[in-house]
Amino acid sequence: MSYSLATLWYERQRYLPGVLAVGFSCLLIALQCGLLLGLFSITSIPIDESRADIWIGHPEVPSVDLGRPIPESWMSLLSQPEVETIEPFMEGFGYWVKPNGGMELVLIIGSRLGPGAIGPVRQLSAQHRMLLSEEMSVVVDEGEFSRLGITKIGDYAEVIGRRVRVVGTVRGLKSLAGPYLFCSVETGKALLRPPPDQVTFILGKCTNKADAQKVVDRLQAYPQKISAFTADGFSLRSRLHWLLKTKAGIALGLAAALGLLVGAVVTYQTLYAATAASLKEYAVLRALGIPRWRMALTVLAQSFWVGLFGICLAVPFILILASLGNDAGAKVLLPWWLWTGAISVTMTTALVSGLLALRSLRLVEPATLLR
Amino acid sequence: MYNDGNGVTPTLRAWGLTKTFGVGDVMTTALRDVSIELYPGQLSLLMGPSGSGKSTLLAALSGLLRPDSGRVLCLDHDIWSMSEKQREHFRLKHCGFIFQGYNLFPALTARQQLEMVLRWSGISGWREARQRTDAILDLLGLAKKANLRPNQLSGGEKQRVAIGRALIKEPSFCFADEPTAALDWKHGEQVIELLRAAAHDGGATILVVAHDSRLIPHVDRVFHLEDGVLVEGIERPLSLVAGDTAVAAEY
Ligand SMILES: Nc1ncnc2c1ncn2[C@@H]1O[C@H](COP(=O)(O)OP(=O)(O)OP(=O)(O)O)[C@@H](O)[C@H]1O
Ligand SMILES: [Mg+2]
Repeated sequence: MSYSLATLWYERQRYLPGVLAVGFSCLLIALQCGLLLGLFSITSIPIDESRADIWIGHPEVPSVDLGRPIPESWMSLLSQPEVETIEPFMEGFGYWVKPNGGMELVLIIGSRLGPGAIGPVRQLSAQHRMLLSEEMSVVVDEGEFSRLGITKIGDYAEVIGRRVRVVGTVRGLKSLAGPYLFCSVETGKALLRPPPDQVTFILGKCTNKADAQKVVDRLQAYPQKISAFTADGFSLRSRLHWLLKTKAGIALGLAAALGLLVGAVVTYQTLYAATAASLKEYAVLRALGIPRWRMALTVLAQSFWVGLFGICLAVPFILILASLGNDAGAKVLLPWWLWTGAISVTMTTALVSGLLALRSLRLVEPATLLR
Repeated sequence: MYNDGNGVTPTLRAWGLTKTFGVGDVMTTALRDVSIELYPGQLSLLMGPSGSGKSTLLAALSGLLRPDSGRVLCLDHDIWSMSEKQREHFRLKHCGFIFQGYNLFPALTARQQLEMVLRWSGISGWREARQRTDAILDLLGLAKKANLRPNQLSGGEKQRVAIGRALIKEPSFCFADEPTAALDWKHGEQVIELLRAAAHDGGATILVVAHDSRLIPHVDRVFHLEDGVLVEGIERPLSLVAGDTAVAAEY
């Protein structure tokens, strides 16, 4: 190990391309996945930012923004000992007519607003909730003004033929398909006009969050065809739906694979050339009877160090670029498992390149030293 | 058993060694029915014109290149009837090599080059490897150069490191192919003296290929190879000059 490290350091010029290639692959994978995660986490904002533990929707509801009406009476299904709060929830797409003409798709999110309400996103302040209790008022993200064609709080616009008033703004809740309009359940119903006594989701909150899964399992076993999820389960389901539906996963996979391939090829070339340059030295060791696996181990150790240095080089750049991206409004999520994944995939690539470079050791032939 | 008449058994015996390269018009016969016996504690010199088969003979005797026919017995092991693995193990235990050119790892210090052999061959642990390495570097006059890399060493120093690498395992055999070719006479003499010391003091069997006839007075025996045919030289060996009567009795 120490010999390979010494070699790597002494001949760093030679190994640099490999280190850079590995670092680049790592950077590419981490940032791409982080961007995608960030992008699709927007889909599940209404779930992730609310306090509800349990979500009930129509059968096979694929995603939180694709709910269809269900009977409000299903609320009684949630009357179970573990559940302390039960609320209706409205959600659906609508058209926003800008004051100066033009239309924009919006996502209407109507929840209860009382002090103990579980439906509203936590960004809605008590002040917001008070203002929203007046019918036909909405709160939007401050970044969506231009998209919505308005300039200030207090502006009016038309949604599906009804006049609404913007009564406040929140931050950090920009959306993917269309701006979120946060409002009360009543406003939501007035805008979305579901059949009588129907809502889009029914939410529940357990006294003890850990019971949510138990309650969900029980609900799933009911004869009624309903879909019940824990908040985490539904959040993941919503993200995955959009990830798969938009084929972004495939694009990501291809780009990442390409990055890895480039990294692998350059690393392989680097290690192969480095080993080939030492063929005579290795041949002496072979003549002295030192087994081939010792040399193989050295090449593998070199690939390990190339991988490690590449990753170490990539980490600060990933952090810097991610924060630059976040500042520029692109959400980059880097959970620990993404780091683990990106690092292990990169390291595996480096080691596989090392394994392939072992081919060069076949050229080690002590008899060639005697001429 | 075979011996030199003074009760010393040869450590290496070979007979009937033949080796040809290529076929048809381009066929070269490098060795023609070569037989040789080498004794422990002796430094033997193999001379001959270029292309006469010296390197080929060295390779065949040391288990690096299989001859077309003939047998080689090293310490009573028939090395060409062993498996590749066994032969490798035999070399590990008993053989040291010095090749033309220094063949040192550019990134490693003199000490690391030697230590590596001991550690990788599993002969000794870390601590012992360090002690043996420093001892041999001292012997080679390289104590002050232990932490220098090849590009900081002179040609003679590099060759001494290469010798150290060959001898550090304290092998029974040491094969050297033109170890002095790249050195001036002063350093060449130094190298051959080091090898002679390893033979005389360490009891190793050493065979050196060289062109320079000035080396003859420094060795115990001289062989000539010409067109693949080996004959023992009649030059007066150093041992006679030095008055080593035991060996001198032979002449
Ligand atoms: N691998 C090989 N393939 C074909 N011919 C070879 C090979 N190795 C050696 N020969 C031939 O065998 C003959 C003997 O070669 P060898 O290397 O033993 O000579 P040498 O005495 O060591 O010469 P030098 O003093 O120049 O090193 C030469 O004619 C050479 O061309
Ligand atoms: Mg030769």
